[in-house]
Amino acid sequence: MKIAWKEIKKSKSRFIILGSIVFLVSLLTFIISGLANGLSQDNAALIKDMPEGQFYMDEDADETYNLSKINEDTQDKVLKDNKDAAALSIQMGFVNDADDKQQSVAFVTSTDSDLFESVGEGEIILDESLKEKGIKVGDTLTNNQFSDDFTVKGFVDQKKFSHSPVAYINMENYKEMYRVNEMQLLFVPDQDKAQTIDGLQAFSNKDFLDTIPSYSAEQLSLNMIVWFLVVISGMLFGIFFYMMNVQKIGLYGILKAVGVKTSYLFKMMWSQMILITLIALVFSVALSQGFAMFAPEGMPFHLTIETTVQLSVVFVIIGFIGATLSGIQIKKVEPLQAIQQGEV
Amino acid sequence: MSVFTVDEVKKTFTNGEVQEQVLKGVNLSLKQGEITALVGASGSGKSTILTIAAGLQPASGGVIHFDGKNMTNMSQEEIRKIRATEFGFIFQSSHLVPFLTVEEQLVLMLDVSGTKMKKKEQKEEVEKILKLVGMDHRKDAYPASLSGGEKQRVAISRAIIHKPKMLFADEPTASLDSKRSKEVMMLIRDLTKTLHITTLMVTHEEEMLPYADHVVTMKDGLILEGA
Repeated sequence: MKIAWKEIKKSKSRFIILGSIVFLVSLLTFIISGLANGLSQDNAALIKDMPEGQFYMDEDADETYNLSKINEDTQDKVLKDNKDAAALSIQMGFVNDADDKQQSVAFVTSTDSDLFESVGEGEIILDESLKEKGIKVGDTLTNNQFSDDFTVKGFVDQKKFSHSPVAYINMENYKEMYRVNEMQLLFVPDQDKAQTIDGLQAFSNKDFLDTIPSYSAEQLSLNMIVWFLVVISGMLFGIFFYMMNVQKIGLYGILKAVGVKTSYLFKMMWSQMILITLIALVFSVALSQGFAMFAPEGMPFHLTIETTVQLSVVFVIIGFIGATLSGIQIKKVEPLQAIQQGEV
Repeated sequence: MSVFTVDEVKKTFTNGEVQEQVLKGVNLSLKQGEITALVGASGSGKSTILTIAAGLQPASGGVIHFDGKNMTNMSQEEIRKIRATEFGFIFQSSHLVPFLTVEEQLVLMLDVSGTKMKKKEQKEEVEKILKLVGMDHRKDAYPASLSGGEKQRVAISRAIIHKPKMLFADEPTASLDSKRSKEVMMLIRDLTKTLHITTLMVTHEEEMLPYADHVVTMKDGLILEGA
């Protein structure tokens, strides 16, 4: 579509304005999407990093995992029937370091499983973010609900729950601290369809994430912003091309009069839209990836290439829809109307 | 022999409950290689008959034959194809594409008409036509940098580059001074004769009539004389 490119070259400022708007809106969308993802990781990396499967919690827990108690017989049966399954518990709490400084953590314990860190009694494995707080391997940590001390055995990469670093502890220590004998949850990996287990309610990974307090509210708000921006960019395309088309009605009419097909005019508009969007997206993708690399420490920003590509495709599709809707005028243009209008 | 005939063509416009008949049964017969000029007062229906003949709006009644084919029975797409391949248009204003150079305007018309030509052949053809209208030295210019007369010459070359059988010209000299008008009319006449085009032209300028082979006068939607 040489003619489309010719027009862009001749009306540079007009197209630069459109491109800049698309660039700014898409950049903002990528940044907010990165923040939404970052917060999501910060809130639930522990769950998000697990393989797809089914979580089971007590039916009477009202979908609140920390009220759930799995009957020991049921737990034994499920673990026996499913080789890779694990029973686990999560509780928010804190540990005191050598300087008696309190650090918030999410205590996690589980039965023997490759999905969770294996820790002996009196040992603790922490999320690496606690390294920045000065905690080292071999340090002794305390908790006022635990009669003994914890010795730091090691650190794990990016394991967060409810915006707190995860602290893996032994099941016996957990039972002592929280004065419980039952685990809260059962997890069966690689199970597409939930089993019916008496007294238990099944959740897919995604559904389980929604039971984490604040997770769905936080994600919903951020995703709403992302999708609003996507829709706004589509509307911007629509409005911009509508205004350009209004200015070009005379030209379209003349071209139609001399025999140019309506589809040719649409192709011209689509080529311009796709070219401008792609150029704007190249800049915003590059800048947002640059931001991901240089984002301040501690800022929960996580923007994968996969998310960027998905959003970019959505931008192109929504731009296409916006431009096409505005192009309905092209179809309506009567050649005669243009001829009677005078100079284009 | 007539290549284009208009038989009892009528046109009625409806505005709310008011119906206005602007053409009341027009007959025309146009011969190859001749210019027919339509003249008449404002509102006589001369521009309406030209646009109906050119397939730019439908008639309310009557029959139009072009090259032995009944145009009134054709679909919109068939008429568009005829406009692209067999018809050429010159409008009152030049109506050039503002972001294309003179050469590109003509190449676009060759593409639209479906003329199967290689790029090099297209360039040669454009050069030839521009030479014919005396605009070969301005082939890289954009419309904004051309004078009114130059624009109209480019519009004429765009109208004939695909070698149409019919040329429709709606007041082609209306926006030009008398010197440029005469030049443009001489050009249309020369091209009609050398390329054997059938030309139907609307004009209100009496000085342009000597360039036409036939003059048809219209009044109140009817042919008064000369058909």
